[in-house]
Amino acid sequence: MATASQDHGGNLLLAGLSAADRGRLIRDDPPIDLRLHQILSEPGEKVRQVFFPIDSCISLIAPGGGRELLEIGLVGQEGMVGVPLLLDVNLSPLRALVQGAGRAWRVDAAVFARAIQTPSLRVALNRYLYVFLAQLTHTAPCARYHQVESRLARWLLMTRDRAHSDRFRITHEFLAYMLGVRRVGVTAAASALQRRKLIRYSRGDVSVLDVDGLEAAACACYELDKKIYSRILTRKVSKNG
Amino acid sequence: MPKPQENQILDALPSLERDRLFPHLKLVPLPLGMVLYESGAALRHVYFPTNSIVSLLYVMQDGASAEIAVVGNEGVIGVSLFMGGETTPSRAIVQSAGHAYRLTGNRLKQEFVRHGQMLHVLLRYTQSLITQMSQTAVCNRHHTLDQQLCRWLLLSLDRLSSNQLNMTQELIANMLGVRREGVTDAAGKLQRLGVIRYSRGKITVLDRPQLERLSCECYAVVKRESDRLNAPHRLSH
Repeated sequence: MATASQDHGGNLLLAGLSAADRGRLIRDDPPIDLRLHQILSEPGEKVRQVFFPIDSCISLIAPGGGRELLEIGLVGQEGMVGVPLLLDVNLSPLRALVQGAGRAWRVDAAVFARAIQTPSLRVALNRYLYVFLAQLTHTAPCARYHQVESRLARWLLMTRDRAHSDRFRITHEFLAYMLGVRRVGVTAAASALQRRKLIRYSRGDVSVLDVDGLEAAACACYELDKKIYSRILTRKVSKNG
Repeated sequence: MPKPQENQILDALPSLERDRLFPHLKLVPLPLGMVLYESGAALRHVYFPTNSIVSLLYVMQDGASAEIAVVGNEGVIGVSLFMGGETTPSRAIVQSAGHAYRLTGNRLKQEFVRHGQMLHVLLRYTQSLITQMSQTAVCNRHHTLDQQLCRWLLLSLDRLSSNQLNMTQELIANMLGVRREGVTDAAGKLQRLGVIRYSRGKITVLDRPQLERLSCECYAVVKRESDRLNAPHRLSH
């Protein structure tokens, strides 16, 4: 179904579904535009919509009391925002914050709940759930043990993958929030990566200059995330897409 | 002998599903330190703890490990199975000795296909596990060892439905991913405040409200979420 893939492509999870299953989620509405720093859900709020990013990127952030928070996931075209609905739960414990503006498919919670009654669709999305959970498994140890510089390198690579571009905008302050470190820590780590000519970073503009070098500087979690993803999902995507 | 109903997930099943599943449950003793599975290992069984606690640990490439969640009588070990994952991304190790009911993975998968209460309860439990894992990450990053110890004690006690834990400081240090001296200091402070009594590997909580006040917000977030997720099926029978 080449037409359907073209119509509803752009998100890898959707692209991996059969045309019929995709049709249960995506109707006639066009994708919507997500604005930078738009909040899609707050902890404790009802989840009203599921988002399948096309070229946008969304941070999932766990609250820790006051200003203490931490990004625990970054969702782009490989995934979806709205995992609680997949678990028959309609409240989210996390904040979903648009970190890269762009388009996404939006599915109403009620439509989504009906659609996942279809076994084939449930099975396909459960695989994503497995990937999400497996990646979450090393989030806590990464936050505890890995150096800020390696975590920053990992984060820049993840963002680059999701932005499909070697250049993107991000402030030091925002990075500090996401990584759960102080601003000076981010500045020092970014300068170190810059001195090694892996990135250029000025006034909030990041350019990745050396992807291989940045991968070498990143903690093992980056490679691991990609491995888990391709082991569980890519095979399916290439078969049907 | 502990009954299956001592595990909240098994307790939440309607009688039809109990009649179908309970004959296939096997009560197994879980001695301290027993590894239920290693990360990357095939999942042959799932475990429903009754009076034991199992830690899920992430093992890093250099061999260091950190706890990402604790599972006790509120949960099950092996949720990956219903997602189609045949292996588990973490190591599961017994942190407090006791018992669990064991079910084969195949039997559980047959149950999922029926789309009954078991699937529903496991889905909801997975959400509370996600909350616990996220909160552990935040806590690791931001909170003091004193606060983390309080959170950890509270989560563990809730899962045993008890005010007493058999636990060495060495084990706690391993779980929290810190040095043993750090745990000794933090536990000493709690003891001087009269919040816990600690002797010969036995921790008794004397002042639970105070322990909750000394913990970071992470405990409350996890507790709220698991209470909420457990509530509907509690009411349904």
